[in-house]
Amino acid sequence: MTAARPRPVPGPQAPFRLPPREVTRLGNGMRATFVAAGTVPIAAIRLVIRTGSADVPQGQTWLDRFVHEYLREGTATLDAAQLAEAFASIGGRFSVDADEHTTVLRTDVLAEHAPRAIALLAEIARAPRLPDDEAARLRTDLRRNLDMALVQPQFLTFAKFRSALYGTHPYGRVIPQGEVIDAFDAGQARAFWAAETGAQRAHLLVGGRFDAQRVTTAVHAAFDDWSAGPAPVDVTPTPTRGRRIYVIDRPGAEQSTMYVGLPVIDPTQPDYVGLEVTNMLLGGSFHSRITMNIREDKGYTYSPYSAVSSRPHDAYWVEAADVTTNVTGAALTEILGEMDRLGATPPDVAELAGIQNYAAGSFVLRQATASGILDSLEFLDMHGLDAGYAEAYVDRVRAVTPETVQRIAATYLPSAPVTVVVAGDRAAIEAQLAPFGPIEA
Amino acid sequence: MTASRPPEPAFGLQIPVHRTTLANGLRVVVSPDHSAPTICVAVYYHVGMRLEPQGRTGFAHLFEHLMFQGSAGMAKMEIAKLVQENGGNLNGSTRYDFTNYFETLPSHTLDLALWMEADRMRGPVITTAELDNQREVVKNEIRVNVLNRPYGSFPWIDMQERAYTNWHNAHNGYGDMADLDAAGLDDVEAFFRTYYSPANAVLVIVGDCEPDHAVALSRQHFEEIPAGPTPATADLSEPRQTEERRFSRPDALANLSALAVSYHTPPSGSPEYYAMGLLDQLLVQGEDALLYHEIVQSRGYAGEVDGGINFLGHMHNAHTPLLWTVELFHNNDIAADAILEAIDAVIEPLRTTVLPQVSLDRAIVKARAALYGTMSETYYPGAGVADLLAAFELFEGDASHVNEIEGRFAAVTPELVLATAQEYLRRENRTVLAVEPGATQGAQS
Repeated sequence: MTAARPRPVPGPQAPFRLPPREVTRLGNGMRATFVAAGTVPIAAIRLVIRTGSADVPQGQTWLDRFVHEYLREGTATLDAAQLAEAFASIGGRFSVDADEHTTVLRTDVLAEHAPRAIALLAEIARAPRLPDDEAARLRTDLRRNLDMALVQPQFLTFAKFRSALYGTHPYGRVIPQGEVIDAFDAGQARAFWAAETGAQRAHLLVGGRFDAQRVTTAVHAAFDDWSAGPAPVDVTPTPTRGRRIYVIDRPGAEQSTMYVGLPVIDPTQPDYVGLEVTNMLLGGSFHSRITMNIREDKGYTYSPYSAVSSRPHDAYWVEAADVTTNVTGAALTEILGEMDRLGATPPDVAELAGIQNYAAGSFVLRQATASGILDSLEFLDMHGLDAGYAEAYVDRVRAVTPETVQRIAATYLPSAPVTVVVAGDRAAIEAQLAPFGPIEA
Repeated sequence: MTASRPPEPAFGLQIPVHRTTLANGLRVVVSPDHSAPTICVAVYYHVGMRLEPQGRTGFAHLFEHLMFQGSAGMAKMEIAKLVQENGGNLNGSTRYDFTNYFETLPSHTLDLALWMEADRMRGPVITTAELDNQREVVKNEIRVNVLNRPYGSFPWIDMQERAYTNWHNAHNGYGDMADLDAAGLDDVEAFFRTYYSPANAVLVIVGDCEPDHAVALSRQHFEEIPAGPTPATADLSEPRQTEERRFSRPDALANLSALAVSYHTPPSGSPEYYAMGLLDQLLVQGEDALLYHEIVQSRGYAGEVDGGINFLGHMHNAHTPLLWTVELFHNNDIAADAILEAIDAVIEPLRTTVLPQVSLDRAIVKARAALYGTMSETYYPGAGVADLLAAFELFEGDASHVNEIEGRFAAVTPELVLATAQEYLRRENRTVLAVEPGATQGAQS
């Protein structure tokens, strides 16, 4: 066995400049942003529309999903099969990504076909066919998706956590009643789409490789005469903070699926970047404290992680883990203990510096691919932040001190007011959870 | 050192490939890409689930975990710490015929990344406690992905156990809990000695670097690692299947039926294999696919039809024996036979009639886009390209063949598609698996 060479010590990371972006604003209020990235000859195209599940009327949960499925059924000029062929022939596939406030019509296509893809997405957004005779099949598909979701422990845990935090606010309404789905029809889909979409809610993002001039021409041709439509509406909630424990019984389950979290500040707040750094140190990275503790030291779980989940003027922090049933209580003790330990004692300088480098470096990594860049642009839009946020991000990360981390952990991430949801074998975990508080009915 | 640089069309694909072999047999592939200041370093070892010892199922994967538990120059998990505190992401994975370890970092850290991978190529240095810890982590991985999850083994584990007859291919590579319990440090040592020698590995560097510099650094870090013996080759072959096989299995956690149909593919790298790749595009990929149209839109049996070649990746990063699979979830009142009848109604015409060129052309466009899609990795920029380069270096002996893929698709004729469908889409070449749901409803609290 030969000895390894001495470990190299990298110098400082080179100053990083964001890839240049070209922004166009149309007369109707719509925006378009183009960012060249990468070498793979693919154009990534997203039509981001500011509407989502939060805009669904009360009592119609999943109407947005019904509409998303419906959008595949063609446009004014193309039936479903023709639309699918049109995408396929340019190397694309149409899909919809959506959350509470955004609906993203997207496709990746061969670079030379970016203009055609823009025209197709515009046609879907502006003139979806939504044919009556497909409604029954789409309802059946949606019911099937609901039924399958209802046996997934991670989905059930997420849904219960959401309803515990947000109650009857749209963010808390994750699971629909089956009968509601059975009553969806084309008229509801048309009404929703007409009421919730339009140029002033739209932002077209193009990333990867493309001919900028042809793409610009295509954007004007496709969208210049789109009506402005409704202004976006925010529905800021007041989430509940306070220790509550919920159990979803899964008799015989080998693992407990846990969600542990609480409301925190949103990305527009001055402490937010510090909160992101704190999260990475606490549970949001592979070498974070919680992961090193419950995975690498104790072997309780495989893929624990923490994250800050945000919506406009709203966010929560959560640690999620699937742990062996007999260590459910022990794992919870460790998670809550790590939260409070960070709130009580500042991290040492070297540990924080490592996390700051991770935050700065992974920011560079995110800006290296078209999908990463477009994700970042969506994040800025979601929170009403401008390019200045991204430009200042690395400096703000560097400015975080150990004392800041401690203060942020103590202020925003104390263990006392966490909501805990566990999907697991109730008979086996009830006693383990007893020390943490009463289990809610 | 050899280099190949095809000329650049307007938006063509041309991956620069620089290949070198070090004195100890380690193959080094460098592909510069200066479009972003990041670098991906990947080491692929030519051993996966198929070569793990009998009585030690799951060991190749457990071993992968142990490669993060320390080596001569790094303590337990220090490699994760080093990558992270230098601004990068890392991972590893275990596949049928290879195990990979990779990290993407800001490009000024290339020297360190190579040092790390060289250090662990010299061998894991671990304790019983670390082995026991990762044994528990792996068991929890199996629980979360298989045992505590509806459809957890469907179809990837279920199907390989039923469609293959050769133990190497058929056994569960996630492992039996008893086999994982039986694994000891002596197994770790033996497996490392047998399979983790430099000559059984490929080092790939993709991203913001100069090839000469990257090769020089690779020499500094890796060339002194002693060459080991070449592992014996194993017989991984499967006999030609001559009878349709049908199975069903209950799933106590599932509440809806599921069906998968798998066909053995042509040998990887052959013209027929690329024809099979186009049949996959034609039949199941995208909403213009024939099976989507028939099963979803016309008959309403399911909301989606999924499938493809290779449960653990895609058609370009694996070696045969492989399966091409169609899979779907359906309501319990639709009989599996009705779905099979629908599948046959779509497939049988392809076995008797020459495909129109226009259909083939669209399948080729889709196949190209799918290939480009494998190159885009958001979390580990460069890892998708590194993966293709490593796969072609391991399986065809030349990473630069990655630039031949598009030509291989373009060379497929309608007649070859017909001949491929006739031989490989035979009913006798397939295995059918139905999942019978055991849960009656959602576990609503």
